[in-house]
Amino acid sequence: MSEFAIVHRSALAPAPRVASHRIAIIALPEGHVVQVFERAPGADLLAVLADAAGTAPHAVRTAGPGQWFIVGDEPLPRDTFLDLANALGPHAATVDQSHGRVRIRVEGTVVERMLAKGTAIDLDIGAFPVGHSAATLLGHVSVHLTRLDATAFEIMVLRGFASSLWEGLERMSAEFG
Amino acid sequence: MTSYRLDKGGLVNRTMPLSFTFDGRPMQGFEGDTLASALLANGRMLVGRSFKYHRPRGILTAGSAEPNALVTIGRGGRTEPNTRATVQELYEGLEARSQNRWPSLDFDLGTLNGLLSPFLGAGFYYKTFMWPAAFWEKFYEPLIRKAAGLGKASYEADPDAYEKSWAHCDLLVIGAGPAGLAAALTAGRAGARVMLVDEGALPGGSLLFDSATIDGRAATDFVRDTSAELQSMPNVRLMTRTTVFGWYDGNVFGAVERVQKHVRDPQSHLPVERLWRIVARQALLATGAEERPLVFGGNDRPGVMMASAMRTYLNRYGVAPGKAAAIFTSDDSGYGLARDLEAAGVDVVAIVDSRPSAGMDYRGKARLIREAVVCGTKGHRAISAIEVRRDGRVETIAVDALAMAGGFSPIIHLACHRGARPLWSTEEAAFLAPEGLRGLEVAGAAAATAGLAACLAAGAAKAKAILDDLGISCSPAVFAAVDGDEGTPPARPLWSIPGIKDKAFVDFQNDVHLKDLGLAVREGYGHVELAKRYTTSGMATDQGKLSNMNAIGLIAKARGVSPAEVGTTTFRPFYTPVSFGALTGAHAGRHFQPVRKSPLHDWARKHGAIFVESGLWFRSAWFAREGEQSWRESVDREVVNVRQNVGLCDVSTLGKIEIFGRDAAEFLNRVYCNGFLSLPVGKARYGIMLREDGFIYDDGTTSRLGDEHFFMTTTTAYAAGVMNHLEFCAQALWPELDVRLASVTDQWAQMAIAGPKARLVLSKIVDDDISRAAFAYLGAKEVSLCGGRLHGRLFRISFSGELAYELAVPAGYAESIADILMDAGAEHGLQPYGSEALGVLRIEKGHVTHNEINGTVVPSDLGFGRMVSASKPDFIGKAMLAREGLTAADRPRLVGVRPIDPATSFTTGSHILAKDAEATLDNDQGYVTSSAFSPHVGSTIGLALVKHGPERHGEKIVVWNGLKDEYTPAILCDPSFVDPGNEKLHV
Amino acid sequence: MASLISCPHCGARPKEEFTIKGAVLPRPDAGAGSEAWMDYVYRRDNPRGAYREYWHHTSGCRRWLVVTRDTASHEVAACQDAALAKRAEAQP
Repeated sequence: MSEFAIVHRSALAPAPRVASHRIAIIALPEGHVVQVFERAPGADLLAVLADAAGTAPHAVRTAGPGQWFIVGDEPLPRDTFLDLANALGPHAATVDQSHGRVRIRVEGTVVERMLAKGTAIDLDIGAFPVGHSAATLLGHVSVHLTRLDATAFEIMVLRGFASSLWEGLERMSAEFG
Repeated sequence: MTSYRLDKGGLVNRTMPLSFTFDGRPMQGFEGDTLASALLANGRMLVGRSFKYHRPRGILTAGSAEPNALVTIGRGGRTEPNTRATVQELYEGLEARSQNRWPSLDFDLGTLNGLLSPFLGAGFYYKTFMWPAAFWEKFYEPLIRKAAGLGKASYEADPDAYEKSWAHCDLLVIGAGPAGLAAALTAGRAGARVMLVDEGALPGGSLLFDSATIDGRAATDFVRDTSAELQSMPNVRLMTRTTVFGWYDGNVFGAVERVQKHVRDPQSHLPVERLWRIVARQALLATGAEERPLVFGGNDRPGVMMASAMRTYLNRYGVAPGKAAAIFTSDDSGYGLARDLEAAGVDVVAIVDSRPSAGMDYRGKARLIREAVVCGTKGHRAISAIEVRRDGRVETIAVDALAMAGGFSPIIHLACHRGARPLWSTEEAAFLAPEGLRGLEVAGAAAATAGLAACLAAGAAKAKAILDDLGISCSPAVFAAVDGDEGTPPARPLWSIPGIKDKAFVDFQNDVHLKDLGLAVREGYGHVELAKRYTTSGMATDQGKLSNMNAIGLIAKARGVSPAEVGTTTFRPFYTPVSFGALTGAHAGRHFQPVRKSPLHDWARKHGAIFVESGLWFRSAWFAREGEQSWRESVDREVVNVRQNVGLCDVSTLGKIEIFGRDAAEFLNRVYCNGFLSLPVGKARYGIMLREDGFIYDDGTTSRLGDEHFFMTTTTAYAAGVMNHLEFCAQALWPELDVRLASVTDQWAQMAIAGPKARLVLSKIVDDDISRAAFAYLGAKEVSLCGGRLHGRLFRISFSGELAYELAVPAGYAESIADILMDAGAEHGLQPYGSEALGVLRIEKGHVTHNEINGTVVPSDLGFGRMVSASKPDFIGKAMLAREGLTAADRPRLVGVRPIDPATSFTTGSHILAKDAEATLDNDQGYVTSSAFSPHVGSTIGLALVKHGPERHGEKIVVWNGLKDEYTPAILCDPSFVDPGNEKLHV
Repeated sequence: MASLISCPHCGARPKEEFTIKGAVLPRPDAGAGSEAWMDYVYRRDNPRGAYREYWHHTSGCRRWLVVTRDTASHEVAACQDAALAKRAEAQP
């Protein structure tokens, strides 16, 4: 038995932050990301998911037809994940992606202009309202975008691309420094 | 006399003088100048030499159509050849150099080409340099390239940043002249999302040199007030220095914004240029019209200028073209210029009007010569006189400037970028935009509307109509009375002019003159597309903006048909040249593609890893230790340590896919060629995936974690492709199957622990029983680690041929677990090993990778023939795998190969020849697919695909490297150099 | 430079988000014979005009789509989820 502690290491460790008066880029805690696949169409899965996700705003995000992510800042103990998987069992398949995805918050008055350097999606709040999610290409990296409020988005990216995307975001925001 | 700066007037800031140099000579201009206006203000009229004949050339236009005034600016990596002086804004310290001259601009030896000109006409190259063919590349082409040409690019790297951006709007207005401003104002006030884009440094277009007033305000004041209102609207984006260069599918417009091309020292946090892709629900083309030159002898002499350009320099920049100017006009627009010149104190010597009567009442002092033409000019490096022909008599009049006004052609390029053809209008004597375009309307001078008031009204009306269609209610902007409006009726085109002696240029930039077009028609190249290529008219960097209409008119005349019948050449993006930097955007250099890092990247670096790029991944190739002299030394040590003790390798880059569903097993059974229905829970199986054509696509192991839950691994290289393929099968081929796929490549870190002591090491951290009896070869299960503090997945699979496991843990814990393993393994000699050692180990064992699975092999070629299920009714590739050619006995098949003399070697890619056979295509027996030095064997070893290979173990052959012409005597053998009986796997 | 595909799940997206596979053809039965399989795997029409292709929204919803595109004008006439298209064909 080893004496070493099992330590979690963040993909963007130590959680960095870039901030100017118009834009801030913040690495979010590597809490939990659960990918959910609908098993049989028809059931009111969204209500079940909302129930399972708790009270945090925008915890359930659409990710294509019959697919969702449940996300949060808190780590997901194995037993809790298994309970969730069991609870959803009849309706959905669940995959723990808590380590496979990294979340970055981007906020500020010019956030749409900055992200428009990477994605072709119209991010105007009229077209992309609060709570709306979309998978898209940001530069050359696939991401999952969610609008959190009028001036903030969350970007979810594959762990292996996180540091590369971070560099890209820094460069996209350079002019607003 | 030359051009000069007036004492007052213009939009330049006379309190802000700017120093610049031209060919090293210091000069001064003002803020607000272009390089062209500053050169003219300094009396510099000769600015370049022409492409072919090296004729002296001056400044012809005041905009982006400029064919003559091309200069090189900047130095080092910021060198920018072929910069149009007419659009380059002046900045302090700008360095400009003329092009295509030697030894100097004023004395250019290339002028001798002019003497050769009888031989340099259209089709000259085609006729002259036909033979001998070998001469073309070595002699003719270098010679021509040296003599003719434009600026030279720099070999230094561009130090500046570029970027791209998307934008979205309800209405994109292209051009901020009268029509564009009126449209943007109308749509902006209605609350629509509007983008108003103009290529100039200032919005306003023709208003910037128009002497009319609107509601008593100067046109420039109107522009300022209107721009201020637009800029105050949050729903309107006004972009200057931005050229919309193309119209694309989906109503996307490409534009390039020159963010920092007008400054000396670009700031590093900003791009110098930004490429925009603008998604517009509707667009309005308000690009105005281009004035046509007139084709007369010596129309290229410095001092000859477009009338609208002369007026621009006069009114916008406060620069007079000379002391004694003449105007050659075929419409009324020349008279407004005459009035402005006289007001500025320039003597207008003559107005030569080709028409019997002007439509406009002219009361100035200039001598008015009607029904006359300018047929020639005189002068050395600048114009000194014009030859006016009337009633067959020629009169010479001394002038130092000549304006030409040949009528206007609407600028409709963008409207034709998606394939529609322009339409000839006899009434307007111009090509108009195609009708019935979806997503694009045209207004103002671009639609041949004449006059300021009419253009303002048209812009507002079009915007209202467009917004009505979009369901946005609005009322058109209304403007006060325009005083001094010069709505001129269209010019009657004056294609050809009698009495020409000197060259009369049609395409100034490519030195195509009147006779060239006549020759093209006579020689059978009268079709507009053929004439273009035969004469090169319209093929220069200006793409014939000034010349195409005249060329079409002249071809029409020579053929005796209407311009409608001649038609235009095809309009394609880009409207003006776009730099490679802008097209590349931010993805250059080390940012060319994203980098993908394993969760064990930093752990590997900590242990001295040397990384290799593998697709987007950075993989640890080997772990150099102090004192090791070469990569081979490190790799050999790692290989030997795995065979003797135990090694740890990061295999996180393998593709990992979770498969769920009632039909998951059936799904796998269809995508793999071998059977998966019977795979028990807790077991892994090697699987081979075929393409529909029967060849192997990818391989990997798939484990059954539950009745309806599998975990697949793919090769690193094909991870993304396999996921796409599986999704295709699940969604497009068999949507009736209940199956769900999730990529978990990034969720799990995966480590191979391989070597005879692997179990000893793992037992120290795995809580479960992993003894031989409890966890046999190909076992796969979830395990508890470190006293239940973490759970992972353990697979007993081996790529090296040793007792081996792959341990998967959640990626965030990867480094910690690797550290714990290294600590636990220290007493057993555990060392990290990289992808190079991994490669040696698998070649020693005879395991294949994509070196062997190279798109030409089927399972039986690799010894997997018996794995292919004969009982399954169907699987991907089944039908085509049965093809005759894929079952032939003499297909190249997998075999081992090693040199007879261990001191000799061979390389991958070398071919196999029978002993004593000559190296010919007929004698080719196959080739080496993988090779490495094997510490186990003590020599180079290889895997090869060889005809009848498995039946030829022990045969002496020759490995031939055709590139180096090396012959290595070698012997074919079992591809499993290590433990061919697989005893170690089951220890 | 640009073209937009209207994904039925995600809306208009640039072509860079997609992977194109090629013609939409029904997969023959395993025993359909070599001619049918040659047609399916290799032989393609190259029409000027309407063409049905499989596009994968790789950097979006990851659904396979059936895109009906005019090869001359690039106009996209229809864009449908491939699974729905297959089911619709199976149950006319």
